[in-house]
Amino acid sequence: MTVISNNDIARAIYLASKENNDALSPALPGRVVNFLFKKRLLSCAPDILLRLDKIINQEKGRIVVRITSVTKMQDRAKTELEQFLKKRYSAKEISFFEILDTRLVGGIKVEVNDEIIDLSIRNKISKLQEYLTRSV
Amino acid sequence: MSNNNIVENLRKEINNFSLKLKIEKVGKVMEVFDGIAKVSGLSDIKSSEMVIFQNGENGVALNLEEDAVGVIILGDFSKIKEGDDVKATGRILEIPVSDNILGRVVNALGVPIDGKGVIKADKTYPIEKVAPGVITRQSVDQPVSTGIKVIDAIIPVGRGQRELIIGDRQTGKTAIAIDAILNQKGQNMICVYVSIGQKDSKLRKLQARLEQGNSMDYTVIVSAGASEAAAMSYIAPYAGVSIAEYFMDQGKDVLIIYDDLSKHAVAYREISLLLRRPPGREAYPGDVFYLHSRLLERACRRNEKYGGGSITAFPIIETQAGDISAYIPTNVISITDGQIFLETDLFYKGIRPAVNVGSSVSRVGSSAQIKAMKKVAGTLKLDLAQFRELEAFSQFGSDLDDATKRQLERGKRAVEVLKQLQYAPVKTEHQVVTLYALVKGFMDDVSVEKIKEFEQGLIDYSENNAKTFYKEIRDAKMWTEKSEEQLKKIIIEFKSSFE
Repeated sequence: MTVISNNDIARAIYLASKENNDALSPALPGRVVNFLFKKRLLSCAPDILLRLDKIINQEKGRIVVRITSVTKMQDRAKTELEQFLKKRYSAKEISFFEILDTRLVGGIKVEVNDEIIDLSIRNKISKLQEYLTRSV
Repeated sequence: MSNNNIVENLRKEINNFSLKLKIEKVGKVMEVFDGIAKVSGLSDIKSSEMVIFQNGENGVALNLEEDAVGVIILGDFSKIKEGDDVKATGRILEIPVSDNILGRVVNALGVPIDGKGVIKADKTYPIEKVAPGVITRQSVDQPVSTGIKVIDAIIPVGRGQRELIIGDRQTGKTAIAIDAILNQKGQNMICVYVSIGQKDSKLRKLQARLEQGNSMDYTVIVSAGASEAAAMSYIAPYAGVSIAEYFMDQGKDVLIIYDDLSKHAVAYREISLLLRRPPGREAYPGDVFYLHSRLLERACRRNEKYGGGSITAFPIIETQAGDISAYIPTNVISITDGQIFLETDLFYKGIRPAVNVGSSVSRVGSSAQIKAMKKVAGTLKLDLAQFRELEAFSQFGSDLDDATKRQLERGKRAVEVLKQLQYAPVKTEHQVVTLYALVKGFMDDVSVEKIKEFEQGLIDYSENNAKTFYKEIRDAKMWTEKSEEQLKKIIIEFKSSFE
């Protein structure tokens, strides 16, 4: 039996919207909700939307970056980071989503999709703790 | 150690520490239930890769689906919640191994649970490994002496063999395994006992028994108790065989006992059903055969070119009401190189170990048996087979000819000789002497009730008076005509003094 995943549904919605040359047909949202209701998939709607968002970002070469730091990042650092990320992920456009968190103690944490580059002091301390208490 | 020393050591360690910058793969917990977590993200994760949850618990990725990853949680899952981060480690699940592990009780992750402190380990071994290939192997030709007469004589086990111990509950399956461990003292054998889903009280008792017999010096116990998650029971045998492989890689011989694989299959069934894998026969998943075959295939004897060493496996299977045609028993019977059948009826008849000699078999062990034992056991097998045939027949009538009567009497004595108390393994040379006396007819005129007494007396007497015979068995593994004559003389001498 073939299982249709949330990802498949999100891709189908994306392809349906693309048929109209990127202009969202006014009838499409209603049709999608109707389909989800009929197939009893309304509870999956948040996950489907999240995946749709990812697909759109991927197709447009856009990545969303979550940056967690103790203080607001300086513009210069942000530009440098943008250059690095554009190169690494071959992205055309980068949108930053900044979070301030004092629990990091210092440094920054960068999250892109399911990858994390943790340069925070908290991470360094926990790694040191792991190293000092290791039994191996 | 003084305070200054501690600070100095810490400083040194901190100076040695360097953090390598790396990109980590992280997922989010979508749902947690019954020791299973569904995780989103973790796009490049491998099957059986180890993951670490936000609260420090370990997990293993088993189901790689399009949308999510099904992870089994190795530990307390009650503190893991939706939205928690899950880090991929890039490593297949591994456990720490070292020589220091001998004498210790560890859990399925190699963490000590005996309260004797941390085990300093210098290496880690992956728990899943491909079994040694054909080129590295050698056929079984060295015996594993279990100290149990019926096994060593009739169902001999060789180093590198996989011999199944199968029977209903309370028939003495674990007892055979413990006796085999106890008898390995001084035999250059490391023992690994893997306890799967057993009561902690049973394990404690077993450990105490092994300590009493000074057998913990060469034994490791890997335990996944009944109170632990099914995931721990699932990985315990693999962890055990990884420890065994560590010793085999040093060229040592290892005996591993899986007690028991029925509970292992049940734990795997639980995990598989929770992971929504399709159920098959008896609700076990389709790969339950591979579950055990890949485990038991890791038992082998390596040739000298590849470092020697061996792993002998004693898997245990518990049957329900003697049903050996159930799914798991038939699977494991077909995987192993023989089986030791234990029967409830024999157990209650007082025949202990309750081994059914007719249904038990060792497919490769006879080539590992020492020559002397082969010589005496060959006739014994025949005696017992004839006895079994005649026993049923003789119940119908009393008019039996002398030859039949003789065979019946011999059979009764053979059964009596093969009875053995628990925790009392018998040395090979003693077994040879006893069985020699039996098959050569020296016991035929000793009453059945006095056989045990006769046996013990003969061992004590011959040990002092037939030293050459014993030496030859120990060194050359066979007697000479001269020492045989001497033994015969000694048996006759002993018999004349035996009342």
